[in-house]
Amino acid sequence: MAVDTGLFVAITLAYLVIIIGLGYLGYRQTKENDDYMVAGRKIHPVILALSYGATFISTSAIVGFGGVAAQLGMGMIWLTVLNIGLGVLIAFVVFGKRTREIGHKLRAVTFPDLMGKCYGSPFMQYAAGLVIVVGMPLYTAAILIGGAQFITSTLQIPYNTSLIGFAAIVALYVVLGGLIAVMYTDALQGGIMFVGMTILLALTYVQLGGVIETNTALAGMSDLVPQALAAGGMTGWASMPAFGSSIWLTLVTTLVLGVGIGVLAQPQLVVRFMTVKDNQALNRAVLVGGPFILMMTGVAFTVGALTNVYFYRTQGVIALQAATEGNVDTIIPNFINASMPDLFVVVFMLALLAAAMSTLSSLFHTMGTSLGFDVVRRTGSQRASMRPIQVATVVMIVVSVILAFIMPGSIIARATAMFMGLCASAFLPAYAHAMYSSKPSLRAAKMSLVVGATAWFVWTAFVHIKESGALGLSDLLFGVPAVLPMPWQVVDPLVIALPLSTAALMVGWVLDRYGVPAEKAAEAA
Amino acid sequence: MFGITDPSIWVGYLLALGFTLACIVYGLLNWNNGVGEQRDGS
Repeated sequence: MAVDTGLFVAITLAYLVIIIGLGYLGYRQTKENDDYMVAGRKIHPVILALSYGATFISTSAIVGFGGVAAQLGMGMIWLTVLNIGLGVLIAFVVFGKRTREIGHKLRAVTFPDLMGKCYGSPFMQYAAGLVIVVGMPLYTAAILIGGAQFITSTLQIPYNTSLIGFAAIVALYVVLGGLIAVMYTDALQGGIMFVGMTILLALTYVQLGGVIETNTALAGMSDLVPQALAAGGMTGWASMPAFGSSIWLTLVTTLVLGVGIGVLAQPQLVVRFMTVKDNQALNRAVLVGGPFILMMTGVAFTVGALTNVYFYRTQGVIALQAATEGNVDTIIPNFINASMPDLFVVVFMLALLAAAMSTLSSLFHTMGTSLGFDVVRRTGSQRASMRPIQVATVVMIVVSVILAFIMPGSIIARATAMFMGLCASAFLPAYAHAMYSSKPSLRAAKMSLVVGATAWFVWTAFVHIKESGALGLSDLLFGVPAVLPMPWQVVDPLVIALPLSTAALMVGWVLDRYGVPAEKAAEAA
Repeated sequence: MFGITDPSIWVGYLLALGFTLACIVYGLLNWNNGVGEQRDGS
């Protein structure tokens, strides 16, 4: 992206100084383990809302999924519906309050710790911790790659230096300042993102001639849909794909349901509910969280689709044809670079950098606490100790950086959807059961976690063509990239694994309740 | 609606705005509720 590099460097440096300052503030306020792990359980509701939102929304949600909206159209707005309806309303009101109450009562400090204590089972804690330690580095590496690519393209810093420097700056305040530093910096980053996206929406509609005229122009472009996409069921950029077509299945199952539902059981988001002192803070955070998410994904998806109008008017091509080397991730940056005033280009770049840093810092913290506290802490020790967790955080950061050097750059959006799908499949039913059952069944939770994670992995490795083709496991064992035919190959793993995980939970609960009457009778006696 | 003719798109926009409004209304109505609330967990 070409821009006034001097101005951007100056603003970025000022931004980094403030970030380091906030990180130092977090470091000064971190005196006990609870401060490091759950921000002392006294975070302000606005900081909670902005931190939750900024963690939730990474650069890939804006640039990657915005690019997908440029390709597939405004149907992506259904993901925003789920982002707000499930990701904020249900997450805070239904899950958040119970999580906070139970987390406080049991003195839980991480998501795996919460699961372990709710079920009275070290297995649940270790298993949940292990899923995070194994699965989250892939997602983290994807965020790192996205951030480094962005820094390289804007500041012309070599990629390797960008990647290491980016990781090191975030690591500095995460390792030293814990969750307080993470949430303070998140809040600033969330504010920058909100400003950037608001201006982006306004300028886009102003430049293209107003809301109705621009939307009408987009709706009138349906005859420009490329033949390959039309054959897959695409009908235009202001209409949904044909029901049941391969593009409809990808849009609805992977993008809308996969990412939309997946957010409910994200460990790095769940832990935030335990950072406030009472439910009043959660009530107030809902007021900020809803509009924040609307202005993130709602704007990204709308502007993404509307870039087709801009590129058609100015260059006579659709957005996909205006993408650099056919990469949809470049559509939003190309549009902003070509159409927006220089000053806004800088503001938007800062917003993207903020989005990457806020997600990355939370992932670093969650991985570190999972490894240091949930997986390798000394048996019998119930207290969290800050030093081993800081060391574990450094270890997980190094692992993520190494992975980022190994993984292909094209994995960013896929890794995001994969991690969200894995979390929901493995954790969501057991998490919901723990929150809303007076006596949650451990057997049911174990069955749900194992069945959910296994089903997700099997479908990912052997059926869902985008992943199974890339992983090569199916080809190695069965000689085909996917073992089931279309349309199953484009049905997201979450859509299969989550119902199975839920069914396993119900079977386990029934077995526990009715299947072992002798033991029950003995227990009762 | 607003230049979008496919109901499955503008209904999505209406729902996104509706949920956002619901968040705002919920936050305002419960602004002072839940102070120091500490119910029994599981």
